[in-house]
Amino acid sequence: MSILSYNGSAMVAMKGDNCVSIATDKRFGIQGQTISIEFPKVFQMGPHLYVGLPGLATDTQTVVEKLNFRKNLYELKENRRISPKVFASMVSNLLYEKRFGPFFVEPVIAGLDPITAEPYVCNMDLIGCINEPEDFVVGGTASAQLFGMCEALWEPKLKPDDLFETTSQALINAFDRDAMSGWGATVYIIEKDKITVKDLKTRMD
Amino acid sequence: MFLTRSEYDRGVNTFSPEGRLFQVEYAIEAIKLGSTAIGICTSEGVVLAVEKRITSTLMESTTIEKIVEIDKHIGCAVSGLMADSRTMIDRARMECQNHWFVYNERMTVESCAQAVSNLAIQFGDSDDDGAAMSRPFGVAILLAGIDENGPQLFHMDPSGTFVEFDAKAIGSGSEGAQQSLQEMYHRSMTLTEATTAALTILKQVMEEKLNSTNVEVMTMTPDKLFHMFTKDQVEEALKKVTSLEHTKGDVSTHSQSEVVSTDS
Amino acid sequence: MTAEVNSYYPDYATETPKQFQFSPYADNGGSVVAIAGDDFVIIGADSRLSTGFAIYTRDQNKLFSLSKSTVLGCSGCWCDALTLTRILSARMQMYEQEHNKVMATPAVAQMLSTMLYYKRFFPYYVSNILAGLDTDGKGCVYSYDPIGHCEKATYKAGGSAGALLQPLLDNQIGLKNMQNVTPAPLTLEKALALLKDVFISAAERDIYTGDKVNINIITKDGIKEDTFELRKD
Repeated sequence: MSILSYNGSAMVAMKGDNCVSIATDKRFGIQGQTISIEFPKVFQMGPHLYVGLPGLATDTQTVVEKLNFRKNLYELKENRRISPKVFASMVSNLLYEKRFGPFFVEPVIAGLDPITAEPYVCNMDLIGCINEPEDFVVGGTASAQLFGMCEALWEPKLKPDDLFETTSQALINAFDRDAMSGWGATVYIIEKDKITVKDLKTRMD
Repeated sequence: MFLTRSEYDRGVNTFSPEGRLFQVEYAIEAIKLGSTAIGICTSEGVVLAVEKRITSTLMESTTIEKIVEIDKHIGCAVSGLMADSRTMIDRARMECQNHWFVYNERMTVESCAQAVSNLAIQFGDSDDDGAAMSRPFGVAILLAGIDENGPQLFHMDPSGTFVEFDAKAIGSGSEGAQQSLQEMYHRSMTLTEATTAALTILKQVMEEKLNSTNVEVMTMTPDKLFHMFTKDQVEEALKKVTSLEHTKGDVSTHSQSEVVSTDS
Repeated sequence: MTAEVNSYYPDYATETPKQFQFSPYADNGGSVVAIAGDDFVIIGADSRLSTGFAIYTRDQNKLFSLSKSTVLGCSGCWCDALTLTRILSARMQMYEQEHNKVMATPAVAQMLSTMLYYKRFFPYYVSNILAGLDTDGKGCVYSYDPIGHCEKATYKAGGSAGALLQPLLDNQIGLKNMQNVTPAPLTLEKALALLKDVFISAAERDIYTGDKVNINIITKDGIKEDTFELRKD
């Protein structure tokens, strides 16, 4: 099997009405063996900006450090907050630098533009090819299950409460059918003046 | 008898000019030497009763097994050459298990009879990997079972022919027993009545005195399926046989008096 | 050095032997979904038959009615599906003649399992979902892996979009991860609506699923057929 599915993960980000969501499972495992059930895979990169790094756990940790480094440098140089779109380009650039010896992560980015508060979600492959859809993005070992769930549950202009329910149901039901991910979930709802973080209890098998 | 013998006696596959297969007919004769077995089918279930011939007081009577379980829902009584019967019972059991394995359901009683019949008519056949069976089986079988069509009783003879019966007797006492069954059987019989009837008839046709060691009784009912009577249960059932005979006279006088009373 | 080594070999020596491998299987895609209710069962399969990025046909029925109350949905290696179903019908006809009755759905289910297992080391590469009414007239669904593992369920998605569809069925029919809901008996209308919804979702993301859905509705009155269109790209 691919090294991308060595540790297991499930991640989804969705656009709503003036809000975005990003949700992840909490498992860290080595193939079938679960090592930890509180492993962070989604990281805050700004007041309204989150990045999720599903894939090989060691690269998740390395890449988030590298991203913090570059993002901080950008914000110091430019003296302004990084926008999700620019951040996505930065991630893409970082990954493509390792075109022939890549980091095994497939990032998911969700955020609101610091100025316009425009919702933004995107994901990319492990060498940085960006995908910016109008609805939702998925990643990790449960991506097939997530595609099926999101495709049926998502609808345009979801309010924060509905977006939370939709994202949570999509993620939980998807990773319940994936042996490599699950064991609890964290959902982030990002609004202009509020960020809600909820830890969800799920079946632990 | 000697005169009627001919060369058509020898081959199991050879018809006589009259269109008869002598060996098969002789095999059918052979089962008339076997111990008597009786089966009665009622709406409540089926009962099988057989006599066990205890030829010596030194014999361990429990080792004679003439009623056996084929599957939980099919039992059978045999008469004739016991060694031959084992082969057929093995086949019947195997077919039932195979049916369960492949279809996850109980084999019907008729299908089980058909399967055993297929074995019984293989005498004289030979194939690449082995010798043929040299003669027909010298066995008659009563198959008692329950499936989605309710309780059923099947009889099969050495030719492999099988027929469903309401009540059937096989073995040495079969002629007399069948006659008695004809008289005693009726459609609304309960299983207890049938058990008593079977034992009563067995008692009539047996040479030895009927007791709990020289008879085997089995019932096949929808809830308990195959149930072999314990020694105590047999004794219980035998009590009814004797009490029935004692009251027989009373019953008839009673019914007569009834007739009289209606007349008057 | 090289010349020395080469000189050990006669001048007609060739390079390493070329290996050619025969691959006996094809993946022709396709998805099957079956949902059982108390007195009905529905089964649907998409009608796209494809190989890699090519589409053989947009109109291939993948549902096989085996009896008046049993339907089998097949996807995977289509030639194996054809062979398997032909043998299956033959076995069912033999059963009917031997035992004088039509095979009940649970019996077909068990037989299919043994048939698949008998080819344990050269399997039929087919994802099977069997739907039918049992002897009590209750809807039931059986799903299989290619070597005969059989599981009874009330709903199941299989084939190329199986992973996409199954969690949705868990949620909507199995009411998994739902709070404050009282399980109500599934109606035929709801099952049909759900079946169509999940196929629309699958057709969005799975390139091996699309074009059209063939649906069989099995009730005590027999099998009713229905179709509805999916996206064709």
